[in-house]
Amino acid sequence: MDFLNAILVTPFVEIADSPVFFAEVAINGLLTGVMYSLVALGFVLIFKASGVFNFAQGIMVLFAALTLVGLMEHGAPVWLALILTVGVMIALAFAIERLMLRHLVNQEQIILFMATIGLAFFLEGFGETLWGSNVKKLDVGIPDMPLEFGGILLSSFDLIAALIGAVLVASLAIFFQKTAIGRALRAVADDHQAALSVGIPLKTIWIIVWSVSGMVALVAGIMWGAKSGVQFSLSLIALKALPVLILGGFTSVPGAIIGGLIIGVGEKIAEVYWGPAVGGAIENWFAYMLALAFLLFRPQGLFGERIIERV
Amino acid sequence: MTTPDTTTAPDVPDAIAGERTDRRIIGGELLSVDDISLSFGGVKALSHVNFDIREGEVRAIIGPNGAGKSSMLNVINGFYHPDSGAITYKGQTRKEMRPDQAARQGIARTFQNIALFHGMSTLDNIMTGRNTKMHRNFLWQALHIGPARREELAHREKVEEIIDFLEIQSIRKTPVGRLPYGLQKRVELGRALAAEPELLLLDEPMAGMNSEEKEDMCRFVLDVNEEFGTTIALIEHDMSVVMDISDRVLVLDYGVKIADGTPDTVRSNQQVIDAYLGVSHDENRA
Repeated sequence: MDFLNAILVTPFVEIADSPVFFAEVAINGLLTGVMYSLVALGFVLIFKASGVFNFAQGIMVLFAALTLVGLMEHGAPVWLALILTVGVMIALAFAIERLMLRHLVNQEQIILFMATIGLAFFLEGFGETLWGSNVKKLDVGIPDMPLEFGGILLSSFDLIAALIGAVLVASLAIFFQKTAIGRALRAVADDHQAALSVGIPLKTIWIIVWSVSGMVALVAGIMWGAKSGVQFSLSLIALKALPVLILGGFTSVPGAIIGGLIIGVGEKIAEVYWGPAVGGAIENWFAYMLALAFLLFRPQGLFGERIIERV
Repeated sequence: MTTPDTTTAPDVPDAIAGERTDRRIIGGELLSVDDISLSFGGVKALSHVNFDIREGEVRAIIGPNGAGKSSMLNVINGFYHPDSGAITYKGQTRKEMRPDQAARQGIARTFQNIALFHGMSTLDNIMTGRNTKMHRNFLWQALHIGPARREELAHREKVEEIIDFLEIQSIRKTPVGRLPYGLQKRVELGRALAAEPELLLLDEPMAGMNSEEKEDMCRFVLDVNEEFGTTIALIEHDMSVVMDISDRVLVLDYGVKIADGTPDTVRSNQQVIDAYLGVSHDENRA
């Protein structure tokens, strides 16, 4: 009885008691959600362009952050380190196209997927060989001060990070939905051979997409790295992107954004209000439960393309 | 070997071909294939094939299943790279091409098993065909303003013309995955036409269609050939269609050229009849 009470009654009483605190929890959730969207977006971009689930996306986040910190430790100022890291991520995109994707044109998706698993292991080892495996502190100069808006307490870092994330997400969404490149990209995702036959240069498209998702990984790496230090566990936030993708649909940029926000808000609220009833730590599994529920009732996600196969 | 006669219209007995006028001018050699051989492992798909395609003609490639017809098209547009031989296109001779280079030089194609972008609308599918005509400045495109926007609108206009031509206005916004087979084939033709190709390769454009759809498709192929002056190479199994619409016919069997000429000469060629009826060479000699 106590348990039912704790689940069905107490949380709502608490929400009603202090709406300001509820708003604070929700907004903090939103800010985290933007960061989830950012990581998920990296997956969606590559998935849309090559139909492959890039297992290495999480490692790319880590690799980008490691490179940035490594360069800064060698004395490079922040701006220079940033530019160099961007260069490294673009070079990585070229290398991936040249050494991996080019040889796998028209192969089964599962084969491309396996290749990205290999890539993940390689990048992890390569990054740590280059820059070491100890936990590194990343400070890019974004201030972290508590700010108060009408009784709601927010961190200025979270706010700025969310803002940067939101701008990046919005511009990418427009880029890929509204431009001719976006169309070429969707064409490549749909059918390699047909895309080639209308003269879409597969290689260029792949390099663009992997470069862009490298940039996204870098931004995500900076934001998460500055929060929790640059270390291997950074690559695990990519796992959080999975439920986001299931929620939003693997093929939808808006889906990745909204999915990220829903999970960010949902897990914070669940943790704060429903956590005590089950002894806490809901935040760690809430997203996966939500994803499971979605898989049961709406497997294509909120915005994913429904696959209709004529037989 | 007889010189193929390209000045007279092919035998045109029925209503489809009734529209065919002979005001077309068949020009010089647009593409010539010299001694092309292609093999996959130990299987010889093509051996020492020679033929040419002249400007403005409808060139059919026929042959039994597995004769190497699709392989031939794939060599022409660069999907397959031949083991030996050379291809001369618009006066330039090369051993192999990349598919996107071929597309940029005016070779468009359709596929035997429709290769459309299934998640995209008819309009977007045909727009992708304009790809080679678009300026390659990614930055402008990304900003989606000024020149890039104007360019997009101009392309859009051209695409609408093609949609009108193919009479598919009503399915403009429909995702092509939902369209019936016959219409998908038509959209695929539209995408190829959007590139304003000089050489159009059609791989079994009428396969799996009912007779009404076939008639429509025949009409479109002839119209494209006559009105736009596009050179067409097509693979087709329906012999009455081939005989009606093509100027010259190339016959392949087991990757070897066994006949080449006007529909009439090919039809009466004993080797062709044998290939289709499955008569063994020994019986033939006996």
